[in-house]
Amino acid sequence: MEGSSSSPSSSYSSPSSAIFYDFLDRMRNPASLDLVRSIKSFIVSFSFYPANPENDGKRVQEFFATMEDSIRDHPLWAGATDQEVESAMEGLEKYVMTKLFSRTFSSSPEDAKIDLEVSQKIQLLQTFLKPEHLDIPLVLRNEASWLLAEKELQKINAFKAPREKLLCIMNCCKVINNLLLNASMSEKHVLAGADDFLPVLIYVTIKASSPCFKLSNYDVDANPPQLHSNLKFIQLYRRQAKLVSEAAYYLTNLVSAKTFISELNAKSLSIDEIEFEENMQAARLTNKETQKEATPTLEEMTTSQDHEDPGPSLRSHDKETRGGSNYPYMDKEAGDLTVGDVERLLSVYKEVVTKYTSLCTAFRQLSLSRIENHVTNIEDRNVSSTQSAETGMNSGQRDGE
Amino acid sequence: MGCSSSLPDRGSGRLVGPNVENGGAADAKNLRVKLVLLGDSGVGKSCIVLRFVRGQFDPTSKVTVGASFLSQTIALQDSTTVKFEIWDTAGQERYAALAPLYYRGAAVAVIVYDITSPESFNKAQYWVKELQKHGTPDIVLALVGNKADLHEKREVSVQDGMGYAEKNGMFFIETSAKTADNINLLFEEIAKRLPRPALSSSSSIQNP
Repeated sequence: MEGSSSSPSSSYSSPSSAIFYDFLDRMRNPASLDLVRSIKSFIVSFSFYPANPENDGKRVQEFFATMEDSIRDHPLWAGATDQEVESAMEGLEKYVMTKLFSRTFSSSPEDAKIDLEVSQKIQLLQTFLKPEHLDIPLVLRNEASWLLAEKELQKINAFKAPREKLLCIMNCCKVINNLLLNASMSEKHVLAGADDFLPVLIYVTIKASSPCFKLSNYDVDANPPQLHSNLKFIQLYRRQAKLVSEAAYYLTNLVSAKTFISELNAKSLSIDEIEFEENMQAARLTNKETQKEATPTLEEMTTSQDHEDPGPSLRSHDKETRGGSNYPYMDKEAGDLTVGDVERLLSVYKEVVTKYTSLCTAFRQLSLSRIENHVTNIEDRNVSSTQSAETGMNSGQRDGE
Repeated sequence: MGCSSSLPDRGSGRLVGPNVENGGAADAKNLRVKLVLLGDSGVGKSCIVLRFVRGQFDPTSKVTVGASFLSQTIALQDSTTVKFEIWDTAGQERYAALAPLYYRGAAVAVIVYDITSPESFNKAQYWVKELQKHGTPDIVLALVGNKADLHEKREVSVQDGMGYAEKNGMFFIETSAKTADNINLLFEEIAKRLPRPALSSSSSIQNP
């Protein structure tokens, strides 16, 4: 199932697509008409009220609990094992939450705002954050492992079901876990548990939210990684009985990483305060340039000019930038440059390097991305089969009436 | 750091990828307990837990070995079992503000310091105060002085540790993750102190 399933690969559960199709099959059975009616009326009932995350979460959880009882007592599941009922519940969760996804995911303006803030913070940090700023020991600086962990986390936006999103987090954490365990065995590095785990997870989270992240999801234009919304969605809509133990622990760690990132300042890192501020400022300038490229409206340019005075020698260069070239020093000689150019020069340099790195990564990932594209297609197909199942339910219902 | 030698040199087979427990509901005979570990970085929190989890050899028990989340079930004399789900926390100062995310809902908090480090003992007292204020109301608190094998470097006396624990109604013990001294005792004593749901007619329920 690895790599070919529509679900994040997992060693401890049966293929989720099989579970899901089994659920759909049972729902097409005329005998399940009463269940189908409950599910449909529950989903429809959501269109009667405005979105309210906490309340919606409570209603969904109550519905899952009620349905679990109904399924246990249902003739179609007569004599079913706990595992079979459990599978039906996983199928139900996936069906309901896929149906309610647009209504429940990042549904409040506050959530969208937090997503944007976290994502902007991460974009700034990405330009200069190094493992040593989080005191990550050398033996744990394993680019290959980190990249793998990042890829696992990046898959989170390819899924709509809370269980599958949670699995992406679990898989990311497992890669980090294995890195720590291997380091403790082969490198004689004392296993330091969470003291080592959390910094690596934070670093990976920041790196995973890079522009490549967006590329890999085929949504280059906008769509920030929505870290906050993903976490909140899992917390509210994953069945509460499943949000315990190890799953709850790793989810908490990612919530923790997000909290750390959004509250991060110079004091949170092993970095000189002035150096931190300079890096953040340079990153802001770089990002602004990137934004201008994306949406070069006159308004935006003038307002950004008004908001911030980026330094004495910058204004003239800005004109050149607007004139056409984004790299205003191309026609300059060393003697033309002043000390005041350094900041700008550095930010342009970083921008170029970031773009180049992103391009390289994107290029390297092209083959991998194709696989992901395939996965996304399967997921879409799942959704459409969900819809056809609904049509099936519809007709079943009519037949019954 | 005093615990490297306590890591048994075993093949990596059983260490690859932790399992997810489905976490069946607890009943009176089979408790499932969330235990959070707090303490300065370097005091040996993870070593204590590794000792506990790997030291117990029971082929029937399902052990989850991760780097920071571990679970282990112990059987008590009264034929009840307690499954500890152990949540490790990062001890570095920069993560201190995140601790509430971890100890929320914990039934047990084990606060660890290093007997050779007075700073770590101060930090432990900080955690005790924080948990008394913000922890689960009936949380079981244990204060653990680790690295007890390093007598010659001791800087926190047994009396200081014990006195502080008594004053705060906590269980106190000194351990050595290196020699495994008192490690099992620590968890057994915690298990005894857990509030029990009233024993009902659930005696037929098997181990999960």
